[in-house]
Amino acid sequence: MSEHGCIHLSNFKAAKGTQPYKVIYAYFVACTSTEARKRKAFSCYCYICRCLGPRLHSCLHCIFFGCFVSGHIQEHAKSKKHFLAVELTYGMVMCFQCGDYIYDRELTDIANERDAKASKALGLPISYRSWEPSANEIELLRLHPRRRRVIENSTIGLRGLINLGNTCFMNCIVQALTHTPLLRDFFLADKHQCQFRDQPGSCLVCEVSRLFQEFYSGNKAPLILHRLLHMIWTHAHHLAGYEQQDAHEFFIATLNVLHRHCKGSSAHTHSSPEHCNCIIDQIFTGGLQSDVVCQACNGVSTTIDPFWDISLDLATDIPTSSSESNDSGQKSSESSQKSNEQEPTSLIDCLTRFTRPEHLGSSAKIKCSNCQSYQESTKQLTMKKLPVVASFHLKRFKHSSRFHKISTYVAFPEHLDMTPFMSHYRNMNNGHCGNTFNLLPDNRYSLFAVINHLGTLDGGHYTAFIRQQQNHWFKCDDHLITKANIQEVLDSEGYLLFYHKQFLEYE
Amino acid sequence: MLYKTSIEQSLILSGEKDRFKELLRTRLTECGWRDQIQMLCRQIVKERGVQNITADELIGEVTAKGRALVPDAVKKELLQKIKAHFSQDM
Repeated sequence: MSEHGCIHLSNFKAAKGTQPYKVIYAYFVACTSTEARKRKAFSCYCYICRCLGPRLHSCLHCIFFGCFVSGHIQEHAKSKKHFLAVELTYGMVMCFQCGDYIYDRELTDIANERDAKASKALGLPISYRSWEPSANEIELLRLHPRRRRVIENSTIGLRGLINLGNTCFMNCIVQALTHTPLLRDFFLADKHQCQFRDQPGSCLVCEVSRLFQEFYSGNKAPLILHRLLHMIWTHAHHLAGYEQQDAHEFFIATLNVLHRHCKGSSAHTHSSPEHCNCIIDQIFTGGLQSDVVCQACNGVSTTIDPFWDISLDLATDIPTSSSESNDSGQKSSESSQKSNEQEPTSLIDCLTRFTRPEHLGSSAKIKCSNCQSYQESTKQLTMKKLPVVASFHLKRFKHSSRFHKISTYVAFPEHLDMTPFMSHYRNMNNGHCGNTFNLLPDNRYSLFAVINHLGTLDGGHYTAFIRQQQNHWFKCDDHLITKANIQEVLDSEGYLLFYHKQFLEYE
Repeated sequence: MLYKTSIEQSLILSGEKDRFKELLRTRLTECGWRDQIQMLCRQIVKERGVQNITADELIGEVTAKGRALVPDAVKKELLQKIKAHFSQDM
């Protein structure tokens, strides 16, 4: 297979240009119009045996279709001396003089552009294309010939973290972050562009980037996170000091600072978090839809708020469950709602409760934008947009009259389908059924990290289970890393649960 | 034969053939089939040398194996989707 076209194709292009290829591609390979589809359906068959394929080719010199399998396109090429033909499934050019398909940069570009248009015309996502290194990347690979191959039972990426005095809350979150597949790919691909080049040592994203290099360097000695801790102290004052901290709070604070540092100082001028496209937002931000339905006029007012994680209630006497960045919707609850329901025993239970319609009660009348009066209403939360990483926070620490910890076992699955909690799914069930062709979206997730809290509120310890290489699990207890299995993970008393989307769509 | 042709034509006309193809392609990528075939091809090309093999010969060598490697679940899903499409259409 020639890499750089062939002399016959070059001669053909010099004489006739790329127009013949373009026409054949647009009508018979990737149709963008109904007209093209009609032509493809009715006039595209082997002129000798009338079959529709497989491996039908079109002559590039004249109007002739012939199948390859029965040798009809070959016969045509030989008798007419038309030696170039286009294969109609993938649009590759065959040169019968060279006896093989020919790569040609110019024609490949035309094909790619046409494919994208055709997918768009059918409402399909952009199809998968394997990675090709850019000129810059080829140069880098040439300059650094050393390769490291990751084998099946490699322990690369596993490093213990020294406890600096009650810093297990930080260690467990760092373990979860460094084993977030998409975040790892981003940092190991060296994609971060620092916004604070004039102030070295102040960018938290750079520090995390450096940590990823340390984690995946192959060195096995435990790491000391003093720089990270110091940066968190300076950027999130409420976490400073040597006390025990809440891992969840640390997680949210870290995302916050990372998000801010990704955008750089320009962020202070326009503060609209929805229009950010930094890596933190790309991976962690989802959209939560809140529908408030007025009980008098049935008018619906819908708002969509961004979220980084979902906090789920475990106790029954507080029917409210609010997500982190949605504090505006703090609901005052009616006491009538509490006693007749069971405590949730699984993550699915919690999510079902989180997304069910809820009566806001007579003490919380809201002004309806539709009928302009204060009315009782119901409120329902659903997922409008799912993040790539779905983080769930089980509210085990309850601060009612006194602080205490809820240690009930809450089951969570290894694989989770979020479809039932989506906005469009709920709407579909309320009204008519959607179309049967449900190719996308795919809302399946798999578990990759679990944070556990052991002990009591005042004397506790955090550990993390993390997934490494598809299906190997490890328990990270500060500087100690031990092998675990999925059953231990699923049996554990989860506090923070991290799920990664299984399939990502191309944008 | 004629019946098969008209089915195929109706699928092309509606664009449904491209949709089914895209679904199949997505599933084959997801389940790792694509990578398996890529490895297989790479191995054959390495053994023979890039200059001594044509695309046609490569296709000849991997087709049978490739067909056998398609997971049953993928075949089943596609068949069920195609059936559903026609029962809805007629």
